[in-house]
Amino acid sequence: MNGLDRRSVLPWLVLGLAAVLYAGWAAFPASGLYTRWLTPYRLQVIASALKLVYLLAGTAWAFQCRDRLEAGNPARPAWFLLSLGLLSTFVGQLSLAPSQLVRNETPFPSVADIYYLLSYPLLIAALIVLLKAYREAGFPIGSVAERAGILAGAGAIAAVAAVLVLRPVAATGGPLLERILTVAYPILDLVLLLPLALLLRVALRLRGSHAGEVWLLLLGGFVCLAAGDICFAYFQTLGEQHLDPFVHTTYILSYGLIAGGAHRQLELLKS
Amino acid sequence: MTTNEAVDVMAKVLAPYIGDTMARSATAAHCQKLGITAETVSHEQLEALLGKLGGGLNIFLGRDKSASVVAEARSALAAREGSR
Repeated sequence: MNGLDRRSVLPWLVLGLAAVLYAGWAAFPASGLYTRWLTPYRLQVIASALKLVYLLAGTAWAFQCRDRLEAGNPARPAWFLLSLGLLSTFVGQLSLAPSQLVRNETPFPSVADIYYLLSYPLLIAALIVLLKAYREAGFPIGSVAERAGILAGAGAIAAVAAVLVLRPVAATGGPLLERILTVAYPILDLVLLLPLALLLRVALRLRGSHAGEVWLLLLGGFVCLAAGDICFAYFQTLGEQHLDPFVHTTYILSYGLIAGGAHRQLELLKS
Repeated sequence: MTTNEAVDVMAKVLAPYIGDTMARSATAAHCQKLGITAETVSHEQLEALLGKLGGGLNIFLGRDKSASVVAEARSALAAREGSR
């Protein structure tokens, strides 16, 4: 394996190991590894650092993609919006870091939620701009009827999932703001999944190519983000403490995969 | 050159970047929009088709890389034409 290969494999190795580490915490929380060495506090610190690194890297790479595309390229604003969405999430995560590292607690709601909430319209707008760019460039993204069908199908699934998954969360007796925020994240994820459902059609046609790799990573990251927000809603509102490792796993995977997608796109633009 | 041959040559060049399925469906969609329906395709029609495909590739590859891929496709088409 040459130096270049090692450099490209190492980040994926770290992401894979992190996912295994946190999944292991979920499966064997009472094992010596997790009670003596990797205590919940240490795992919190590692997770916080990984999330910050992936978010910052993703922000920088998405912005460089924007920078590499010439003015007037329809995909340029999409990468800018994606970098802003990741930056907003990074600032939210950064504002949580002092509490997590010093006091070993994650305040909720907090100022971080302003930034987390702000990131969703930016990410949703990024995906819509990309869809529009593909359509204008003549790539087959489906007829109006096909797109309406996909949106109706994805919307129906999202609505059923929202009712089934979020009803217990909304029915708890916690503070109103806390309940609103806890439900808002998964709902915003479901809105995010609508343009993603349309993009999935494009991504499937791109399979086996460089652009397909970019989309595989981005789509995987957004799906993990939705899963993380649902786990967080149960963990936060219903006190399901055993879900904490899953919250970390899904967010780390989400940020890592999205950053990986942005990096792959940047490599494509530099090649 | 037949239209099918031209589509095959272009799809082969574009496939590593946007996948074989997308390369074929995008080329077919542009052929339809440009009115390339006959069995054979003229040089002017091929140039128009390459221009459209290059514009689409810009989104994924940026202008410079897209131009080099279009040039590669043009060379491949010329090589195929020359081998007849």
